[in-house]
Amino acid sequence: MSAAWTPVALSRDLPRLGVMPVCVDGMDVALWRSASGRVAAWADRCPHRGMRLSHGFVRGEALSCIYHGWSYGAEGHCLRIPAHPDLAPPDAIRVPVFHATEADGVVWVAPQAPDAMPPTIEGSALRSLTVEAAVDWDAVAFSVSGPVARGTLSGVAVTILVQPLPNGRYALHALTEATASPSVLTEVSRGLEALRRQAEGVFA
Amino acid sequence: MILYDYVLSPDCYKVRLLASLVGARLDLRAVDFHPGGEHRSAPFLRINPAGTIPILQDGDLLLTESAAILTYVAASHGPDWLGDDTPVMRGRVAQWLAFGHRLSASIGKARTHDMLQKPADIDACRKAGVAALRELEAALVEARLRGEAFLAGNRPTLADIACFPHAMLAPDGGISTDPYPTIRLWTRSLRALPRFIEMPGIHRLHELKPEPTGSSQ
Repeated sequence: MSAAWTPVALSRDLPRLGVMPVCVDGMDVALWRSASGRVAAWADRCPHRGMRLSHGFVRGEALSCIYHGWSYGAEGHCLRIPAHPDLAPPDAIRVPVFHATEADGVVWVAPQAPDAMPPTIEGSALRSLTVEAAVDWDAVAFSVSGPVARGTLSGVAVTILVQPLPNGRYALHALTEATASPSVLTEVSRGLEALRRQAEGVFA
Repeated sequence: MILYDYVLSPDCYKVRLLASLVGARLDLRAVDFHPGGEHRSAPFLRINPAGTIPILQDGDLLLTESAAILTYVAASHGPDWLGDDTPVMRGRVAQWLAFGHRLSASIGKARTHDMLQKPADIDACRKAGVAALRELEAALVEARLRGEAFLAGNRPTLADIACFPHAMLAPDGGISTDPYPTIRLWTRSLRALPRFIEMPGIHRLHELKPEPTGSSQ
C-alpha cells in the first residue's frame, strides 16, 4: 500500500451529493462529496454484495449502495440496512476508507497516510481526460516533477497532474493560468485532445 | 400518438422520456423485439419497411426515424425543446440529432451485440463508441467554457435527449463511461429534470427523494 498522494479529480467535477469512480494504485475507489462538502474516498465495493459504490447515491453525510440501499457513514461504517430497518448494523460491516484531501481545486487520494501534503498547484481547473498511452513530455516541451507536468499549450501556461491507471493508461488533470479567456481555453482544451492523439499514435 | 415501443431500446426511451418531459400522452404498443423479432414480421414491415423501431403514428402521419419523431413530439407538445429560433441553436440541435445516429450505430450496436447476441464487428463498434463519447465530452467542456450547461445552449433541448440514453448505457456494450467527468455532470442535470422517467439501466437521482422511513410491522 502506497503512502503517496495520487491526483484523482478536479474539485469542480465532484459536486455536493456527487459520487464518481476513480483509480488509485490499481485499486478501484468511490470518490464522493457529502451535503456539507466533505470529500471521501472509499473502496469501490459494497461489503454486502460487491456492487460498485460509485453507482450509489449520497444523502446528507452518507453514501448508499444502489443495489439494496445499505448506507455508510463518514468512517465507512454501515448506518442502515433498509430491508431490516430495526436492526442496528454490526460494527464489523465497514467499507475500507482511503485518505483524501482537496487543495487548489484538485482532489488527491492516498491508501496510507502520507508524511506531507500534496504539492501546491497554481492555476484554475480546465478539464480531465484519459489517455490510452504514456505521454512523451519531452516531445511536447513539458517539464515533469513527480506527478506534475508543466508547459505551454496554445500560448497558455498549463499544469497537468498525471494519474497512472491500469493497463498503461493515464488520467490527465489540466489547470491553466487563471486569466485566459474562454475562447483561448477552448483552444487549450483542443490542444489537450491533440496531445492525446499524438500519445496514442492516432493522426488525422 | 401511438409509439411502437421496446422497453430496452434507447431510441424508444428517448421518445418516452421527451413525451413525459413535455406532458404528451403516448399510446404505447409493446413490440416483441427480442426474442420474437416482431419488428421484422410481415405486418410490421407494411408499416416500416426498414424493420426498425421506434415508429410513431399520429393520424395519417407515420415517422420511423428517431430524430424526426423527437422533432414532431416537441413541435406538437413542447416547442421549447426545439431550441430558440436562432441559427446557432437550430444548427446545434440538428448537429446533435444527427450525432444521435452515430451513437446508435456505435454504442447501440455494441449494446445489442452484448445483450441480445445480435451480430456486429464488436471491436469496431466499441472503438467508434469511445471516439463518439470523447467528442461529446469535449463539446460539453467547450459548452461549459461558454457558460452553458447543455449541448445546444443554457437549457435542455432535443440535442440532449438525442444523446443522453446511449451516453448512459454504453457500459452495457463494454464501453466504460468512467473517463468522462463532464458527461457525468451533464447526465446528472438531465436526470434531475422535473418529470424525468427511468428505463432499465438509467435510474433517477435517488438523492433528490427523501429517505424512505419504512419500519417493520
